[in-house]
Amino acid sequence: MKKLDLKVKDYPELAISWETTLINKTGTWRTFYPKYFPKTPPCNYYCPANENIQKYIALSLKGEFEEAYFTILEKNPFPSITGRVCYHPCEIGCNRGNFDESIAIHAIERFLGDYGINFVESKRKIEKLTFDKKVAIIGSGPAGLSCAYYLLLKGVGVTIFEKESYPGGILFYGIPAYRLPKEIVKREVEKLTKRGAEFIFNKELGKDFSLDDLTKKYDAVFLAIGAQIEQELGVLNEDANGVLMGLDFLKAINLKRKIKYFGKNVLVIGGGNTAIDCARVALRKGAKVKILYRRTKEEMPAIREEVEEALKEGIEILFLTAPSKIIKDKKERVKGLECVKMKLSEEVDESGRRKPIPIKNSNFVIKCDTIIKAIGEKVDLAILPKEIIGKRTVLADEYGKTNIDKIFAGGDCVTGPKTVVEAIAYGRRAAYFILNYLKNFEIPKKESVSLVNYENLNTYYFEKQKRIEEDRLPVNKRKRNFKEIVATLTDQDVKYEAGRCFSCGVCNNCDNCYVFCPDLAVLKKNGEYEILYDYCKGCGVCAHECPRNVISMFFEEEK
Amino acid sequence: MKWQYANNTEEYMNPGHLACPGCGGAYAMRLALKALGKNTIVVIPACCWSIIDGPFPLHCIKVPLYHTAFETAAVVASGIRAALEVKGKRDIEVLAFAGDGGTLDIGIQALSAVCERNDKIIYACYDNEAYMNTGIQRSSATPYGAWTTTTPREDFKKERKKNITEIIAAHRIPYVATASIGFPDDLIVKFKKAKEAKGTAFIHIFAPCPTGWRMAPELMITIAQLAVDCKIFPLYEVFDGVKYVINYQPKNIPVQEYLKLQGRFSHLTEEEIEIIQKEVDFNWELLVKKAKG
Amino acid sequence: MKESLIFGKKKVVTGNHAVSYGVLLSRAEVIAAYPITPQTQIVELLSEFCASGLLKAKFIKVESEHSAMAACVGAAAAGCRTFTATSAHGLALMHEMLHWAVGGRLPIVLANVNRSMGPGWSVWTDQNDSLSQRDVGFVQFYCESNQEVLDTTIQAFKIAETCLIPVMLVLDAFVLSHTSEPVDIPYQEDVDQFLPPYKPKYFLDVNDPRAFGGLTSPDHYYEIRYKIEEAHRKALKVAEEVDNEFYQIFGRKYGLVEAYQCEDARLVLVTSGTITGTARQVIDEERSKGKRVGLLKIRLFRPSPIHLIKEILTKVEKVAVIDRNISFGHSGIFSQEIKSILYNEIRRPMIFDFVIGLGGRDVVPDDIREIIDFTYKADYPQEMVYFRGVRL
Repeated sequence: MKKLDLKVKDYPELAISWETTLINKTGTWRTFYPKYFPKTPPCNYYCPANENIQKYIALSLKGEFEEAYFTILEKNPFPSITGRVCYHPCEIGCNRGNFDESIAIHAIERFLGDYGINFVESKRKIEKLTFDKKVAIIGSGPAGLSCAYYLLLKGVGVTIFEKESYPGGILFYGIPAYRLPKEIVKREVEKLTKRGAEFIFNKELGKDFSLDDLTKKYDAVFLAIGAQIEQELGVLNEDANGVLMGLDFLKAINLKRKIKYFGKNVLVIGGGNTAIDCARVALRKGAKVKILYRRTKEEMPAIREEVEEALKEGIEILFLTAPSKIIKDKKERVKGLECVKMKLSEEVDESGRRKPIPIKNSNFVIKCDTIIKAIGEKVDLAILPKEIIGKRTVLADEYGKTNIDKIFAGGDCVTGPKTVVEAIAYGRRAAYFILNYLKNFEIPKKESVSLVNYENLNTYYFEKQKRIEEDRLPVNKRKRNFKEIVATLTDQDVKYEAGRCFSCGVCNNCDNCYVFCPDLAVLKKNGEYEILYDYCKGCGVCAHECPRNVISMFFEEEK
Repeated sequence: MKWQYANNTEEYMNPGHLACPGCGGAYAMRLALKALGKNTIVVIPACCWSIIDGPFPLHCIKVPLYHTAFETAAVVASGIRAALEVKGKRDIEVLAFAGDGGTLDIGIQALSAVCERNDKIIYACYDNEAYMNTGIQRSSATPYGAWTTTTPREDFKKERKKNITEIIAAHRIPYVATASIGFPDDLIVKFKKAKEAKGTAFIHIFAPCPTGWRMAPELMITIAQLAVDCKIFPLYEVFDGVKYVINYQPKNIPVQEYLKLQGRFSHLTEEEIEIIQKEVDFNWELLVKKAKG
Repeated sequence: MKESLIFGKKKVVTGNHAVSYGVLLSRAEVIAAYPITPQTQIVELLSEFCASGLLKAKFIKVESEHSAMAACVGAAAAGCRTFTATSAHGLALMHEMLHWAVGGRLPIVLANVNRSMGPGWSVWTDQNDSLSQRDVGFVQFYCESNQEVLDTTIQAFKIAETCLIPVMLVLDAFVLSHTSEPVDIPYQEDVDQFLPPYKPKYFLDVNDPRAFGGLTSPDHYYEIRYKIEEAHRKALKVAEEVDNEFYQIFGRKYGLVEAYQCEDARLVLVTSGTITGTARQVIDEERSKGKRVGLLKIRLFRPSPIHLIKEILTKVEKVAVIDRNISFGHSGIFSQEIKSILYNEIRRPMIFDFVIGLGGRDVVPDDIREIIDFTYKADYPQEMVYFRGVRL
């Protein structure tokens, strides 16, 4: 027992307090301690471009659209495009999907992109920089444009070679205008031209210039030629008149070129976005359209919403059906397709899906006059030097470095056919590497990821709310035109939808930790929280009641 | 969820108190004082709070506190109220803050008398469903099925919990309410209403005890929410003993979800859980009928 | 009720009403009480005083004596002058809260009408109820007359508030409580002069928030308990001063003890309560017969006026303690007290103990005479205690 100096005379007449419990450091009781430990929300994690989605949604909620827009631009220069065409894996990852419906992230991104184009970019004053370094970029698709943007931001000049007469690559001639209006592509590309990007159109690698020409003239070359050659079906009579290539077909439409052998009964073969686009474009051109796909709806790689829209518009999809022979007439014109019914075997192919196998004696014939092949694209390797190519694609690491000095590559030509957002991400990473190569720019380090799963959330504090639905052009108004189908959200809608965001792993000042602490060990000051470790007993209530898993409990170290 | 009152940074309690980690009773006081403010005198009978406030010469809460004998919280509060009236101090609240033992058992006589006289005090019972301070012995607030140190698992408590809210409401005092620490804003609003009551106000607070309920301390709030959402502890008010108002529509979760998180119920069979479910459903229907009038 | 009909008059009142008048004059601010025979008239009259507005006090009509003392504890802790009255079982029920009043250093005044404890039920007087509370730390006064009851009530508040210690004044059931005597009712101004408003040293103050009576560890408990002992020692002096001051204003004084005819006494009777009056009469008779007998009345039982008792009793040969109480298995309680006070003295008398009048059985002059005769004749007490009047 400690010796006390207090004598009788030092005491009051009764046991009346003279001190507060502040001297009682209950923090010593603790075996676990809580810590504000922000984590990665799945939307950010699953975004191929690593956009800080949670952040721009939080800013949108406050109506700070400009800030939100700039947040996107850090990772993706073209939100008006991705907001329209991205397959938004962010929404698939979105934890709210387990609760009611995922956040309509793409719609918010699109709103912010359009807000940026309409209200931010126009008032931004861009000083034209003088560039001491210059990079040649081959291809003005998403990878090339993205790379160009981030190079320009850091004061590196770019010359973009485009074999067509418009910038945008797949964005311009691949994706139909009802999904991505040409105006949007033009406005996004203006972000580059305003910053001094030089475009050279109608010049094609291997035909008008070689890589050598460029490496001599430029400090670096970024190869972003995409994957544009349609794969063969490998069936009889593939050379018949009326057998069209998917991308070629779309390009012709987008460039308003005349198409030979385009008839009234069109069969599209394939299950990807190209196939769906081709079918819907053909429909708009007045044809009756059917799609053949050898697996089921579940396995279709096309964006789900696009498939649904196609069905709504009256396109029939024949699932588990594969072509076996093209039937042509005497004039070599397609007159039908012999098909075979398929079933999914137990065997899994390299894509991770069950492999379809033909059902014996199930062949049947569909009449048609046009067949559009859209079963996937390949990279045109013939125009590239052997040192940098592999079996199917250009060889480069994730930052675009190839085996030849000064030459970098990215996008579909490296990855094989992927998505717009992945190409944009690749373009940005490559830009960083090129900057590092040219200017010793420090490549941003990859942050360690601590992902928030649905189980980590405390959803008690959330209420069910319907996901916002964008207005859509009615099906009967889509006939024979390429008007954009989906509308951009209003400010109010965006705020509503942003209000649904769980803000997984990121504190949004809900105050739960402060409100629920039984030990008054959480201090709230100027919108920030501080744990008073002198008093925190480590009960874990704050961590448990944090709706978004921002607080974690850790073992006290042996002291 | 947006907080209306609970996130107010005015606190009338210091850290460093002696409650166990995750103590619902300690937390209940924090909220009650947020509602009542500086001009409050608190009376505490023998209960966990006798310890929580700190040993002499320490003091946790930032208002005067009178420690008194187990069965006397209500009447000591009445005595203080009488003194304040004599002194003409009308702007001071007197809060008796007692556990379930001090309320449902040993203190019920004095409490009943205070209610009968309709003395202007607020009586809050923080109910952790057993004598926790003495080491988890059964009280008349211990529910059917629970283990305590005096109701071992082989002979768990077979009697139903005493319905103190109804007993007190029967005195027809102006304000009776139930509250749960899982619903801080609701709890605070009720204390504010109690303050305005023209006479005795009684608030029955559901306050989980991780130590005695054999549960993880971090579940303090979740358990208090589940109790309400399972309809075991509905949130309601009774005005003048006759007008019933249900404040919150429970999410209708099976009692099993509540019971399974607590070691004190771990011995229960499915049949016994069914008995609890039926009782809970019956009580809820009864309450709904009363609320319909 | 008109003030002019009460104050400054000589009124014939019962012992119970004498308490009520004392409380009225003391301007108690909060009263809490529960009825019990034979105390009820105290609170009945106080209720009337409060109802008429003569006494501006809050009267809490509690549901038990335990709550009566608890309510007083609360009111006193909040800074008010408080009063309660009870008897026998009521006092026993209060027991826990008596400790609270003492440990809380609350100057509550309690009037206890001495009544025997059941079972069997008894409403008549003996002292076992109040003496059972000997060790709780209340100051205890035993009164002989209704005037003394009234005067002691007023003095009790002053002693209590000066020393921060509760005071119990004790009067015999029926013999005093229900017996009317002429009593001088003082003027209110005089009492106000004697007893100014209570200014608490500690009270529940929202501007100085403190905890009262928290968990006190062995590190501190003893020192704080010692303060209660200090308060009792102080009360011994204060009681004397208060009695003198009272005399200055009202012309009456009682002393802490009263030595009657003790100057040359060989035998002194020790009495308390109303037996004193009976004994006083017998002493006068015996003196006239030439017997050297005297009487020591114990008015203040706690704190024990040790020095006064020693001073008187070390000069005599024999002491007969008349105990209207019993500590079973030992003896009468006053005799134990007297013996313990004198034990270490070189000159000490033979001490005889007579337990008498339990359950309100009359104690008449013959009883006292016989005790005097017996003690006179005996060389020394052959028994620890003599059970006087029990039919063996």
